[in-house]
Amino acid sequence: MSEIKILSQYYDKPEFQFLEGYKQNGGYQMLEKALKMQPQEIIDMVKASGLRGRGGAGFPTGMKWGFLPKNGEPRYLLCNADEGEPGTFKDRMMMEKAPHQLVESMIISSFAVDSHKSYIYVRGEYYKSISILNKAIEEAYKAGYLGKNILGSGFDHDMDVYQGAGAYICGEETGLISSLEGKKGQPKLKPPFPAIQGYLKKPTIVNNVETLASVIPILRDGVQEYRKYGTEKSPGTKLFSLSGNVKKPGNYELALGYPLKSLIYDLGGGIKAGRSLKAVIPGGSSAPVLTAEEVEKANLDYESLSGLGSMLGSGAVIVIDDSQCMVDCLANLTHFYHHESCGQCTPCREGTGWLDKITHRILAGQGRMSDIELLVKVADNMKGRTICALSDAAALPVLSFVTKFRHEFEYYVKEGRSLVKGKVLYHGQMHH
Amino acid sequence: MSDKIKDKSLGMWYLSGILGGVKITFAHLIKNLFSPSERVTLNYPEEQHTYSPRFKGNHILTVKNDGSLRCTACMLCATNCPADCISIVASEHADPHVEKFPVKYEIDILRCVYCGFCEEACPVDAIRMGPEWQIPDLADGNFIYDIQHLAYRPQLKGGIISVVDEQERHQAGI
Amino acid sequence: MVKCTINGQTVEVKEGTTVIEAMHQEGMKIAHYCWHPGLSVAGVCRLCMVEIQGNPRLQVGCNTVVTEGMNINNTSDKVKEAVQWGLDFHLINHPLDCPVCDQAGECGLQDQYMEFGQYDSIMAEPKQKKHKVVDLGPTVVLDSERCILCSRCVRFTTEVSKTNELGIFNRGDHSEVGTHEGTSLDNNYSLNTVDICPVGALTSKDFRFKQRVWYLKEQKTICNGCSTGCNIKVYFNTEGFFRVKPVYNEQVNGYWMCDQGRDIYKFANKQARYQGGKRYNQGQWVTDEAPGHVAMQASKVIAQNKNKTALILTGQYTVEEYEIAIQSFLASVGNSIGIKNIYHWNSHISEINNFDGTLLRGDRNPNTKGLIKVFEKYNIQTQVEDLEKAIEAGQIDTAIVAGPEDLTYYKQSNQKMVSLISALKNIVWLQSTINPELEEKVKSNLFIIPMKSYLEKSGTFINFNGIEQSFRAVTTVMSQALTLGQAIGLMMGDQKAVLPAAETAADHAVKPFVQESRPASQVMAEERKKNEFIYKRGATNER
Repeated sequence: MSEIKILSQYYDKPEFQFLEGYKQNGGYQMLEKALKMQPQEIIDMVKASGLRGRGGAGFPTGMKWGFLPKNGEPRYLLCNADEGEPGTFKDRMMMEKAPHQLVESMIISSFAVDSHKSYIYVRGEYYKSISILNKAIEEAYKAGYLGKNILGSGFDHDMDVYQGAGAYICGEETGLISSLEGKKGQPKLKPPFPAIQGYLKKPTIVNNVETLASVIPILRDGVQEYRKYGTEKSPGTKLFSLSGNVKKPGNYELALGYPLKSLIYDLGGGIKAGRSLKAVIPGGSSAPVLTAEEVEKANLDYESLSGLGSMLGSGAVIVIDDSQCMVDCLANLTHFYHHESCGQCTPCREGTGWLDKITHRILAGQGRMSDIELLVKVADNMKGRTICALSDAAALPVLSFVTKFRHEFEYYVKEGRSLVKGKVLYHGQMHH
Repeated sequence: MSDKIKDKSLGMWYLSGILGGVKITFAHLIKNLFSPSERVTLNYPEEQHTYSPRFKGNHILTVKNDGSLRCTACMLCATNCPADCISIVASEHADPHVEKFPVKYEIDILRCVYCGFCEEACPVDAIRMGPEWQIPDLADGNFIYDIQHLAYRPQLKGGIISVVDEQERHQAGI
Repeated sequence: MVKCTINGQTVEVKEGTTVIEAMHQEGMKIAHYCWHPGLSVAGVCRLCMVEIQGNPRLQVGCNTVVTEGMNINNTSDKVKEAVQWGLDFHLINHPLDCPVCDQAGECGLQDQYMEFGQYDSIMAEPKQKKHKVVDLGPTVVLDSERCILCSRCVRFTTEVSKTNELGIFNRGDHSEVGTHEGTSLDNNYSLNTVDICPVGALTSKDFRFKQRVWYLKEQKTICNGCSTGCNIKVYFNTEGFFRVKPVYNEQVNGYWMCDQGRDIYKFANKQARYQGGKRYNQGQWVTDEAPGHVAMQASKVIAQNKNKTALILTGQYTVEEYEIAIQSFLASVGNSIGIKNIYHWNSHISEINNFDGTLLRGDRNPNTKGLIKVFEKYNIQTQVEDLEKAIEAGQIDTAIVAGPEDLTYYKQSNQKMVSLISALKNIVWLQSTINPELEEKVKSNLFIIPMKSYLEKSGTFINFNGIEQSFRAVTTVMSQALTLGQAIGLMMGDQKAVLPAAETAADHAVKPFVQESRPASQVMAEERKKNEFIYKRGATNER
């Protein structure tokens, strides 16, 4: 088994970045095709394709589009390119290698949902992606793919790139909307859902870069062809960002349902000699960790991973070998979520800080046996108690790390040093 | 009844008791005369008895390491006082970590019943009851003890330092 | 209407009602900090968790709309655990400085802690340090460490006062409330943020450290600061009045009141008031006389100048007082000659219809409408201008002035009035607060009669749009001070006017618009046993 390159077919061609090269490789043909179709036809095709959101939640895209109210209010399409999930770097590649692919797919999607204005919300640190996207949009305007009366169809559309300010939480769809509105990037209460009341209180669709880009192959090849790849409930292909202790990290486009083990050992070249696999975080840092035994059974699709108590998330596969201390890994994660909590909901604001402080105390060799149980309790009570999923994202790794690698935590607490590395891994002052 | 009184041996029954008593008295008299250091009584007020430090006597307001009052003017002692003898006026302190402190703290000692509830209610070890127990004075105004008396009277030798210090608490992150 | 079941009880509510509103409507208890009925829903404290049948996840009551047949429960163990942990999360970085915190005794955290608290702390980490004693503006002080970031104050400044001074800065557990760059919390509604703050993060500079709340009694009444007539609670004890807070009244003021209205307690306190009657006669001051005695003295003068006596009334007294005063004045003075020498004195006659858009009105008299109503009944229309003419024409040589209680807004008007009447032969001045202008300027025969402030009497105010609001006396500050009715009655020679029977009858005739009530949980200081907690744990009517 190997990669199935549908989205990333031409990514190795440098000219694909520019309008000319993109058009040479079939670019903007699908836009021409789409503009001759009925918007509802496109929505139906996307629904039939079974495309699921690639940003992390895996919500069926066609269904999301169908939620828009039919009331003639202006609608917005937002592309979520705030790729902040630790371990994920697929969107960046897509934007930098094929900006026109995103622009084209966004025009098509906007046409389908009848939106005349769309924004690409790009993570602040992605300077290069932003300049490439800006250039691509400029080219598209010049070529008449954007602006008034696109290709003589009577459809008007404008597109802009918005640079985020580097907050993880702005990758949450309502947090993104708040940030785009010029407010503090904090998630909003749901209901109302963005499809009813989103950006500027108007119906809004927020989709990940990869989700939107997938609309092109669906239109080009048809639903049947698209569904050939992947599983019944998780059709199509997806980009996976492989990182961690593997020989060949990188982005790999695979059909969903691909065995996780093959990704690591076949495509990724396996673990460094003399080391063995200890754990894998299969879907970005928020996904519960899998042990080496679980990796054997895991397939890269939504169902298989949730069956193992984890999730596909954004498709960021982080490989951890036996040279890593799990307490150290968890402390790294809790610190990240402590730093990134927006501070709106109490359980998350206080809970992430608490988890961070406890894990760092254990890491400093000052843990107590009761701390391990406390970590579980705190995480348990953060789960599902907040407006957005950041609290869950912070709690799930804690729960999985502590339950699956409890012996490492217990050893660290008892001996005051790491089981793997044999020493105290943290000497810093607890940060206030 | 009258028959029994006529019995002479019973009529003298108290004599042994009296003689016993006289013996004890004289024994003490002789002991006190020849060894005054073992006397039980004191020549009050020239001589005074010292009570244990745990005795619930006159109030002391404790001070911090820097000598300022420990009291935060929370008024829990005044709330708890069954005799209503404590009156406090609070004010804003220039140091934001102290925040609140008493500008007036008065105990009407004649109303005080020495129950010790103030000591118990105090969350910061600011008021204690000490071993002093005498309150005689000449003017009625002197029976209202103010901060100067409660915290800095000469007997306290510059103030009793509280076990709870704000600065330490703050550094410990409490 | 939608039917649902809450804690096993069938409840019928309007469509669109949220769970928390439904529960409040039924008088059920539900924990909450960030939700406030007068503000938008933030849903951030995560305390109002409820279990809804069929939904595995707990939902927040504040953002869940009741639907037909919904089965809601907030007493299950699952909910209780969630609330307990929610409270723990609130408390782990809270400084627990209750002894120095002004909110202690009426604090949301304390109330919840009594119910759900873990008495043994499981938090071993150092607490987050933030700014203490932050000066937000002229009225409010912030303690960021105590703040639980419920965002009520921020929402208040955006939604109600619309001044947008406050925001939450930084993120995560470094978040702090603060004012935006270059602004300070300086608007006429700023102290409402202190009221809605569920903890002691925002404290009022005016009330800060003055009293512990458990030493205070509260009584509902009406604000007399302007013609809106906001419903308020006055907090007081034997040392005087200490603060004023708004009481919810949908028709009048909603949940809010203005900062200027919060000062009304100050002129009812002893320090601001005439402690005894005063007379000035032929260059001699006679002070510290009983008010009734001064009134009797005045009555002798009035009796000699009956047809040249004028009664000047401000809109600061109650409808009942106006009735008695005008009635007895007319019976004794006016009708005998067929002239009605009664004048309406309003300080801000040109600004009477001004309105700041929220609550405060240009007419600073609480009862202008009430006075006009009584005037209409007796067919009187005369204003201060008519008085000027009458004085010019020499028709008046004795004036009885029912002065304002609060001179703040009457300053200029008071000067004008004093200079207008200073040339008259006799002046009887009725006022509760000290009027230095009057004592300085007037050199003729002057009688100053101390009046009861409106906090000491029962009566009715009619607000700007005709809503009649009755209130009961809060307490007594000056027991010998007179009401307007008593003073005029005495001056007209009716010695029975001060009999207690008349007073209590009038008292009982008042049917309070503002229901006298206090939270069932609150034990008054005089009722409590020694060493008893004054606030029963958990329960509070405070929203």
